[in-house]
Amino acid sequence: MVLKLHGFALSTCTRRVATVLHEYKIPFELVPVDPSKGEHKAAAYLEKQPFGQVPYIEDDGLTLFESRAICRYIVDKYRAPAGVSPLVPKDTKGKALFEQAASIEYSNFDPYASGAVREKVFKPMRGLPTDQSAYDFCVSTLSAKLDGYEAILGKQKYLAGDEITLADLFHIPYASMLAAAGCDLMTTKGPNVTRWFNELTARASWVAVKDGAKSFSSY
Amino acid sequence: MAILKLYGGKQASCTRRVATVLHELNVPFELVEIDVMNGAHKKPEYLKFQPFGQIPYIDDDGFILYETRAICRYIAAKHPKSGLIPTDPKSNALFEQAASVELTNFDPSASKAGLQLWIKKMGYTYPTDDKVIADHLETLEKKLDAYEAILSKQRYVAGETITLADIFHLPYGVYVTYDGSESDNIMNRASRPNVARWYKELVSRPSWLAYLDGVKTTTAY
Repeated sequence: MVLKLHGFALSTCTRRVATVLHEYKIPFELVPVDPSKGEHKAAAYLEKQPFGQVPYIEDDGLTLFESRAICRYIVDKYRAPAGVSPLVPKDTKGKALFEQAASIEYSNFDPYASGAVREKVFKPMRGLPTDQSAYDFCVSTLSAKLDGYEAILGKQKYLAGDEITLADLFHIPYASMLAAAGCDLMTTKGPNVTRWFNELTARASWVAVKDGAKSFSSY
Repeated sequence: MAILKLYGGKQASCTRRVATVLHELNVPFELVEIDVMNGAHKKPEYLKFQPFGQIPYIDDDGFILYETRAICRYIAAKHPKSGLIPTDPKSNALFEQAASVELTNFDPSASKAGLQLWIKKMGYTYPTDDKVIADHLETLEKKLDAYEAILSKQRYVAGETITLADIFHLPYGVYVTYDGSESDNIMNRASRPNVARWYKELVSRPSWLAYLDGVKTTTAY
């Protein structure tokens, strides 16, 4: 039975999962959840995802939520296709450096990138007022954090080393929305961040889902 | 083989998280204190090791690693029998789900409210904002209702056995209780008996109790 991804086409976290499904060429069915109708807060949904958030998957009898956990599960369960390096290293030190990079994404990038996108993209979409000082704080903090990225990416190709890992891919959904939020840091902070960002957003797996994730049965 | 060196702060929250896991796994370590008050962690010689200018980081026989959850995972991976990171695929997936829940649904509000509550409790002269604390605690109350649903069906956040995902809730899970009394605070509400049960177990662990007065070099267990 095909993997079911419960989410919606333009959701950042749904596209984060869909990117990895494409990387590993895993067929999947997108089961639409309509947040504008509050479907993600309905009792039946909360049974599967108690925080009322999107997405979750059903695969082989397992229900799993949290997009980064889903991505890790996909990489753990399925074999990387020929010519694609495993997105999570298996050796002790390689794995540790991956975990360091995955933690950097979550603690040093996501709060500020997602915060900026929330203020200038999501809130206007919902008719809510932008908090300009919150936006400014997110952008100035993100700028300082990207100094750290510029240093790391000057010594190695990707965040965990010279091979791409899930930690790099986790950045893409919000990183790609910063320009729409009026923030050009991904291409102006420095040559290393720019090189890395452009490579990530050119990947076929992201190009396939960037304008909306959809069911995919053959690669 | 050289003893593991933990570069951080005796009372610093993230240093305490790492020390708790080192103690859980009986790993000897030396605490090397970084003079954060005087900005030592922002100087070029420090940034060479931790480019974001944050504490802590470790040096394990020449292997440098930062980000506390990565450090804890690295140490737990060297002790697979501990079960702190389950290895069978389904249990591992549920562990990763719980570890991600801690990051996305607990830490953002718990760390912001917790840090300020800790500053007030310690009497440090650093500005705090009661409204910011209250707003974050309000968010956290709702998140903990979902935790109550989860913990009413299983003993720990990832299943029936304790994992790193539970331990990652320290120390901020403790600091947020500083708003309230010992018997009635955000982690101990009559309306959330399972969260209270789980929290009480966590903070009774010897690994947490060992550093109540601050992290210190530990060579024998």
